[in-house]
Amino acid sequence: MATSMLCRRTAIFSWAIRGVSPLKSYNPASSHCGLLHQIANYNPKPLKLNLKDPYIPDRESEKTPEWQKTAKYDRKLFGRYGSSSGIDPAKLWPSHAQLEEMIAEEREWNPPLQVMLKNVEAKTKEANAKRLAREKLVAANMAKMPKMVADWRKEKREAKQKLKDEKARRERLLAEARERFGYAMDPRSPKFLEMVSEIEKEEKKKRKLMKRRLKEEQSHVPPASSAASSS
Amino acid sequence: MSFTRKPGGKALDILQNLPRISLANLRPEPGTKKAEKKRGRGQHGGNRSGRGHKGERQRGNRPRLGFEGGQTPFYLAIPKYGYNEGHSRRAQYQPLTLNRLQYLIDLGRVDPTQPIDLTQLVNGRGVTIQPQKRDYGVQLVGEGAGIFAAKVNIEVQMASEEAIAAIERNGGMVTTGFYDPRSLAVLCKPVPFFISGQPIPKRMLPGEDMVTYYTDATNRGYLADPEKIQKARIALARKYGYVLPDISKDELFHMLSMVKNPRQIFFGLSPGWVVNMAEKKILKPTDDKLLQYYSS
Repeated sequence: MATSMLCRRTAIFSWAIRGVSPLKSYNPASSHCGLLHQIANYNPKPLKLNLKDPYIPDRESEKTPEWQKTAKYDRKLFGRYGSSSGIDPAKLWPSHAQLEEMIAEEREWNPPLQVMLKNVEAKTKEANAKRLAREKLVAANMAKMPKMVADWRKEKREAKQKLKDEKARRERLLAEARERFGYAMDPRSPKFLEMVSEIEKEEKKKRKLMKRRLKEEQSHVPPASSAASSS
Repeated sequence: MSFTRKPGGKALDILQNLPRISLANLRPEPGTKKAEKKRGRGQHGGNRSGRGHKGERQRGNRPRLGFEGGQTPFYLAIPKYGYNEGHSRRAQYQPLTLNRLQYLIDLGRVDPTQPIDLTQLVNGRGVTIQPQKRDYGVQLVGEGAGIFAAKVNIEVQMASEEAIAAIERNGGMVTTGFYDPRSLAVLCKPVPFFISGQPIPKRMLPGEDMVTYYTDATNRGYLADPEKIQKARIALARKYGYVLPDISKDELFHMLSMVKNPRQIFFGLSPGWVVNMAEKKILKPTDDKLLQYYSS
């Protein structure tokens, strides 16, 4: 299908902007279907090399400008006029010193393929490692999150509870003071503070007594149980 | 029996007796050429000659492009942003659609019986490449993949997957190759380069950013492994659902399998040679060091 379509399309003359004649003399036959496949190229711009009247500067004279005695100009002369320009073709290539320079420059700026591939691999590895490390860190931190959230919530709750307790305690002390002294006193006055310290001492004594009782009970209970077990 | 009618009749007689076509016998189809307005002449072209009434417009003193009468112009009001940084230094690849390639082949501007290179495309005026404007070559774009029907061996600098599939479906070959800016200039305009008398330079390898692209078989890179490329061809055929034609059985197999050396710019010419247009000769270096350098 493809080749038949191609054969069916016969080439038409292409008119170049410069208006040159169309068909090239070279007609390769497309052997698939026997039809001629005409290639119509743009004729190239006429190469005005000026071979009949060349200007070749006089290298010895002082009047010729310096730029016409350079190696670059010589190459251009050779390129235009060929061997009739009188330039040694060996001068077209770089000299050994220039070649050394070129090789050094290339070695510095254009590393070989293997080196480049290694560099690329190293870079991608590094980037991947960094990304993995970061992701791991993130994952680890995310795993810690529920516990951290719970802890924080607990802390908040406890702080709230503490505040509440403080308030309740202060209310109680005020009520206690009210009962004892018969009037609502200022919690900052020294009497109130004395009362508070008294209450605290009583509380401490009570706690100590409780502790001692618990200890005695505990010391009594084991021999009784051992006695019970032995008997 | 007596008088046999000639086919064509009187029209053919007239045609045979008319004189040869020349510029003196031709005139454009009526309606195709509109007479241009001659400024400064006549009732309509004269008077103010299309320049308007007084002011900067008539006197030709308009301010520069972009100036908005003192208001901060658009091109300065828009703030810079990071994603535009270095945009003028980025590599550009001129797109070549399959539509255009088919058009060029049909009109005979590009020869499908020879390997199609950027030089051939430029010679056929298919694409315009400006190596000095950060163009790094041509990219094959898949638009027109449905109607593409030509068997070609084409070498481009980048190619989209659909384009590769379309070309391989028709029994062709695609290769992506890198040309550094100097080699690209030589490739696009070979004749001015040959006239300058310099030896053909060797193509440099792509930089680290493009090496992965050109060593990848899925992009048909010129640095990739040929076996991997074959596998990629089969895989692509399976992906797009067409039967991969066997090129080795083709009569143009030798042409289709022509691929350039990574250091080579032109088919048939090696780096280090000097092509002389004046005498139609090629000069090759004989010095060992030069040979070693150009063949490394």
